[in-house]
Amino acid sequence: MLALREWQQGFTAAVLDGAEDAFARHIRARHFSSERRLQVYRNNSRISLTSALEAIYPVVRRLVGEGFFRYAAAEYIHRHPSRAGDLHLFGDAFAAFLASFEPVAELTYLPDVARLEWNYHQVFHAARHAPLDRQALMAIPPERQGELRFRLHPAARLLVSPFPILRIWQNNPQDGVDEELIDLAEGGVNLLIFRDEELDIRFQPLGDGDFALLHACAEGCAFAAACEQAMTAQADFDLPTRFSHWVAQGVVTAFDLPDPSFPIADRGEPT
Amino acid sequence: MHAKSVPSRLGPRSIPVRAGIGLRAEHYDAVLETRPPVGWLEVHSENYFGAGGKPLAVLEQVRAHYPLSLHGVGLSLGSTDPLDASHLAKLKQLIRRFEPALVSEHLSWGSVGGRFLNDLLPLPYTEEALQHLIMRVSQVQDVLDRQILIENISSYLEYADSSLTEWDFLAQLAQRAGCGVLLDVNNIYVSACNHGFDPHVYLRAIPHHMVQEIHLAGFTVNRFEDGEILIDTHNQPVHPAVWALYCQAIQHLGPIPTLIEWDSDLPELAVLVGEAQQADAILEDGHARAA
Repeated sequence: MLALREWQQGFTAAVLDGAEDAFARHIRARHFSSERRLQVYRNNSRISLTSALEAIYPVVRRLVGEGFFRYAAAEYIHRHPSRAGDLHLFGDAFAAFLASFEPVAELTYLPDVARLEWNYHQVFHAARHAPLDRQALMAIPPERQGELRFRLHPAARLLVSPFPILRIWQNNPQDGVDEELIDLAEGGVNLLIFRDEELDIRFQPLGDGDFALLHACAEGCAFAAACEQAMTAQADFDLPTRFSHWVAQGVVTAFDLPDPSFPIADRGEPT
Repeated sequence: MHAKSVPSRLGPRSIPVRAGIGLRAEHYDAVLETRPPVGWLEVHSENYFGAGGKPLAVLEQVRAHYPLSLHGVGLSLGSTDPLDASHLAKLKQLIRRFEPALVSEHLSWGSVGGRFLNDLLPLPYTEEALQHLIMRVSQVQDVLDRQILIENISSYLEYADSSLTEWDFLAQLAQRAGCGVLLDVNNIYVSACNHGFDPHVYLRAIPHHMVQEIHLAGFTVNRFEDGEILIDTHNQPVHPAVWALYCQAIQHLGPIPTLIEWDSDLPELAVLVGEAQQADAILEDGHARAA
C-alpha cells in the first residue's frame, strides 16, 4: 500500500474519529500543538458540510433554531459521512435522520418539511425537458391509447404528508417576521413541486383525482390504469380537462408505448 | 417553453490580462442587470453540476458577455482513492457547453476510503506524493483533453514527512505534468504567516511562464492567548499585506489575469468590483513597466 494512502487514512481518523495521538508524529510541532492544528481542519470540514445542509434546509433550520440545527447537523454528518466532492449531493438522508433523531421526536412534521426541502433542491437542479410532443401523441391509434405510459417532467415531484407542510413552509420565509400559529390538525396535503418556464419553483396542492393521476404516471402505470385510479380517488374528476391541463403546464412531458414498433416519443433536452 | 434554453452565442474565449471576479448566486441578478466592468468571471464548477435549472441558465446568459474560468473545489485531486469518474464527466460536460478559457483545481486532497471531508487538505510534500500528483493531473488532463491549472492552498499545519518545500513541489508538478499554475497570493501569505516562511521565496521559486492566473481573497485571524492562526475564509476584503505581496508578484511575474474571490458573507457587487479595479490599477503599472 502507498505510504500516502496510509497517511491519508491516518489524517482522516485524526480529524473525524479523534485518533489524534497516532497521527501527531506526522505533524511538525511548531508553536501550536498538533491538536489545535487538526482542530482547524475539523472545524473547516464541519462548517463546509453544515453550510451545505443549511443551504438545502433553511426552513428546518428556522423551525428548530440555528443552534439546535448545528447540533443536529453535526450528528447527521457523523452518522452519514459525505460521500462526494460535490456538496449538492450531501444531505439526502436528512429527513430520514430527523425521523429517528430522538431530540426532535415531538416535532412529528419536521421530517416531512425536510422531505419538501430536499425535493425543492432536486427540482431546482433537475434537467430541462421539452414539452410533450402532441403530434406524436395524435399519431397513436385510439385503441392503443390506454397502453401509453406518460412521464412527468424531470423537475416535477409529488409529495404526500399527513401534516400541513406547505403552510408550514410558506409560514417560514427566510426573512419572515409574521409567524402564524399553524394547527397540525388542519390536515395533510398532496403536493406537486415543479419548476415553471421561468425556472421558478412552484408548489401546488392537489385534489385526490389530480394526485392519483400524476402519481400513477410517475409510477409508470399504463394510461388506462392511471385513469381508473384517478376516477376511483375522485368520482367527479374531470379527467380530459385535467390531463390536458398537466400537459399544457409542462408537468406531463413524455410518453412511450411498451412496444418496439412504436419508438419512445421523448424529445428529451431541447437542443 | 424553452425559448431561453437555446444556447446563446458564447462570449470571448480567452481571459484578458485584467482583473475578474468570482460569481456567486447572491450576485446573479446584479451581474445580469448591471454588467459590471470586470474583465472576466470565475465560478465554482460544482455549483453547475446540476442537470438544469437556474444556475446553468444564468451561466449561459453571463457567458454571452464575459470570458469564463471554471474553478473546481471538489475533485479531491491528491486523494489515493480512484478519481471520481462521474465528477470528471460532469466537469467535462460543463467545459464542452461553456468553453471556459481556464479550468483549475487545487494542490490538495479531500477524501480517502470514500469518506469526504469537503475541505482542501494539504499533502505531504514527498517524492511519492509528487509522483502521485503528476499521475493524477495527467489523468485529469487526458480525460478533459486540455491543460488545467493547479492552485496552491492555505494550510494550517506542516508535515514532518515533507522532504520538499511546497513551492518546489508545485513547480515540479507543473513542469512534469504539464499543467499550469494558479498562484493564490493570499494563500501564500496565509501559509507564510502560519508556518513562518518568507513569502517572497515562494514567489521567486515559481517560474513566471507557468503562472496563468492569480487569486486574491481575504482571510480571518483566529487569535489565541499564545498566538494566532490565519484562516483562508474568503469573506473579507484583500488584506493590505496581500496587496503588497501581489504588487511584488506582478513585478516578478509580469501582468497576469487576477481574480477577486469572495465566497461567504458577500458584500454588494460594487465592493468586489472596487477590489477588481484596485487589482487592475496594479496590472496597469505592470503593463507600463513591461512596455
